[in-house]
Amino acid sequence: MKTNLKFGNVGKIFMQQKAIIAIVVLFVAMTIINKNFLSINNMASLLMQVSVLLIMTLGVTFCIISGECDLSLGSQMCVAGILSIILQRYLPLPAILLVVLLVGVVIGIINAVIIVDQGANSFIVTLGMMMALKGVALVISNGTPVAGKSTAYSNFGSGSFLHIYYITWIAIALLIVCAWVLRNTQFGRNCFAIGGGTKNIAAYTGINVQRHRRIIFIISALSAALAGFCLSAELNSGSATYGETTALLVNCGCVVGGTPFNGGYGGIIQSTIGILLFGLLDNSMSMQNISSYYQQLIKGIVIVVVVALDCYARKKKRETV
Amino acid sequence: MGENVILSVQDVTKRFVNVVALNQVSFDIYKGQVHGIVGENGAGKSTLMKILSGVYKKDKGIIYFDGQEMKVKGPTESLNLGLAIIYQELNLVNQMTVGENIFLGRFREIGGLKKIHAKARELLDSIGSHIDTYSPVEDLPVAEKQMVEICKALSYNSKLIIMDEPSTTLTTEEMNRLKEIIKDLKSKGITIIYISHKLDEIFELCDRVTVMRDGNVISTRNVEELTRPTMIAEMVGRSIENEYPERASKIGETILEVKNIRTNKLHDVGFTAKKGEILGFVGLVGAGRTETMRAIFGADKIQNGEVYLEGRKLDIKSPRDAIAAGFGFITEDRKEEGLLLNFPVGTNITMASFPNFTVGGLLNKAREKEIIERQIKALDVKTPNADIYITYLSGGNQQKCLVARWLETSPKILIMDEPTRGIDVGAKYEIYVLMKKFAEAGGTVLMISSELPEVLNMSNRVIVLSDGKVVGEYDPETTSDEKILAAALGEEVTE
Repeated sequence: MKTNLKFGNVGKIFMQQKAIIAIVVLFVAMTIINKNFLSINNMASLLMQVSVLLIMTLGVTFCIISGECDLSLGSQMCVAGILSIILQRYLPLPAILLVVLLVGVVIGIINAVIIVDQGANSFIVTLGMMMALKGVALVISNGTPVAGKSTAYSNFGSGSFLHIYYITWIAIALLIVCAWVLRNTQFGRNCFAIGGGTKNIAAYTGINVQRHRRIIFIISALSAALAGFCLSAELNSGSATYGETTALLVNCGCVVGGTPFNGGYGGIIQSTIGILLFGLLDNSMSMQNISSYYQQLIKGIVIVVVVALDCYARKKKRETV
Repeated sequence: MGENVILSVQDVTKRFVNVVALNQVSFDIYKGQVHGIVGENGAGKSTLMKILSGVYKKDKGIIYFDGQEMKVKGPTESLNLGLAIIYQELNLVNQMTVGENIFLGRFREIGGLKKIHAKARELLDSIGSHIDTYSPVEDLPVAEKQMVEICKALSYNSKLIIMDEPSTTLTTEEMNRLKEIIKDLKSKGITIIYISHKLDEIFELCDRVTVMRDGNVISTRNVEELTRPTMIAEMVGRSIENEYPERASKIGETILEVKNIRTNKLHDVGFTAKKGEILGFVGLVGAGRTETMRAIFGADKIQNGEVYLEGRKLDIKSPRDAIAAGFGFITEDRKEEGLLLNFPVGTNITMASFPNFTVGGLLNKAREKEIIERQIKALDVKTPNADIYITYLSGGNQQKCLVARWLETSPKILIMDEPTRGIDVGAKYEIYVLMKKFAEAGGTVLMISSELPEVLNMSNRVIVLSDGKVVGEYDPETTSDEKILAAALGEEVTE
């Protein structure tokens, strides 16, 4: 049996991934069925739809590989988005971005202090945080959508370079940075050592486990803040109703991509593939005018099937060893 | 022969993709005997046991159990046939009570919880154990958990019980109890397959012994026909002159002073260690050996006490501080506290020595590769390459990787907790040689071991702990085993 597995061996990742097979099948099928599918416009908007989710997926992947999760992402994104719109009255664009990111860091620190220093479970704490921040979003937006007035901001959201939206470029740049960090830094290596239920071993080898865990929650929160800023630019509005299912989708995307929920394995590329599958599904089904009820049903089935197939393959592998 | 054959294994072959784990293995086991199976790690013992218990399917061959051909699809089926296996790591539900564990999954058949506890009581009494059937399993020491496993096996009316390395975590005293139980089971006509690395136990307990090597059965003979050297030679495929190298002999000045360490479990533990010395720690399980090391290493909170290294007082609050000060800690439980099983061999080795190949948090992978290759070569780790997962290596080679991990940090003090647990004779010798080399290069080894011969043959001095206190210090060259054991048992030692 071939067991040559390095962190992030791209060729191998493709072979192990069930999600990528689903993507290829869906992509080929859509190209044949719908002639508009492969158009530049549709591809650009597909990438745009995925970009905001991808930014958060990149952030939360560090959490999940380290054996934690962050369910407060969606609400964090919402708060950041609404702030980005409201602050337009008072501040120039770069200052808005800075404030939004700072707010993200503060939320990240709150999560970290409760989870890491008090030893609470990240699932529950971030779930609570999700509700609380949803409340914050409702309060500051007064429960109604707020529209943007800055043209610079909306131009940023709708502008593109080489037919690809700026926001997509940001996501791609971050993707490269995060993948590099995960593979080439001690921090990245520590994620794998701490995840998968081996915190005590990591501590024995001298890793500062607590500090690492604090950092991952801050990274995750930062990614949500940036995502919120981008989403509001794209839509030129902010609302407390955005991102109801975002957090679940993003955490789930990592798992569908092949990063197990208790960590220790996985990678940025895998998570990206997972979230790409969701984006492609949404896009394809909308193009075929499938009713939103069935969209939900199909998406759910795809998640369950892909994860089941992945686990089955892993189990088979274990048995042959 | 006149005796009844209860289990006959004939030409059983099992291959995993491109590795032959068992190669046409054949032997018979007679009813009512204790049958030992010995062999180095990777010899195929575990694979064979997993086939017998129905976890794996065999590729070829026939197995007859109790006169019938055995065709089981899973562990439950083989249990119902009367073949039970007690794994090294035990298979109990910690949160449930003793009684519930014994009859797990059969509550209705037995007739409710009350009857379960009554029946469990009978079974426990039958092997002379007084464990309360209502106490949760997690509260029991390992030896008692093993008794629960034995009762569980008996509750299926097992005719054959396989014990996989039952003695690894037992103290001498607990081991004696187990020996009695095994002899008792034997007198009741129950057959036992006893797998162990400890040859003393094999010679004491077994009637017949099968020696395995590299997936083959080398021999099956009555124990009287075997001697220790022939058995070892058959296991490793070559003869081993000595089980231990000569004692480390370049002892220098005092380097480590530990004074009055007090924790929840320790009462004013203190000792000193010299440069180039291997210092052995002896005591029963729970005497505070591992706790002492954990306290020094910063893994447990200490209430009181001082540690001096090279005359300087240390302030160690976490393992990070200890590593920075020059300590290394090879923990007792490789799987739970040592190896990162999701990591390849190479990165397992470099796990503790990031400063050697990182600049500002960035990994220098070329440098890391050099380190890995150098360590694999220096310690003669047998692995196809550095990129396979560490799970695929044998216990001995895994242990070498852990030694390599710490040697790479160039520690002054290397703590080794049960350094040769669960590894085979050949690899043990290699670990001993590594310890000696480290000591003679100026390092200090603090070694904990439950195997008395190992401590006595390797150490320059032996510290005996009992009940969280240091109760004596001995020179193993001039002190008898009995005296040290007596001290560990907390008995008064008369000079």
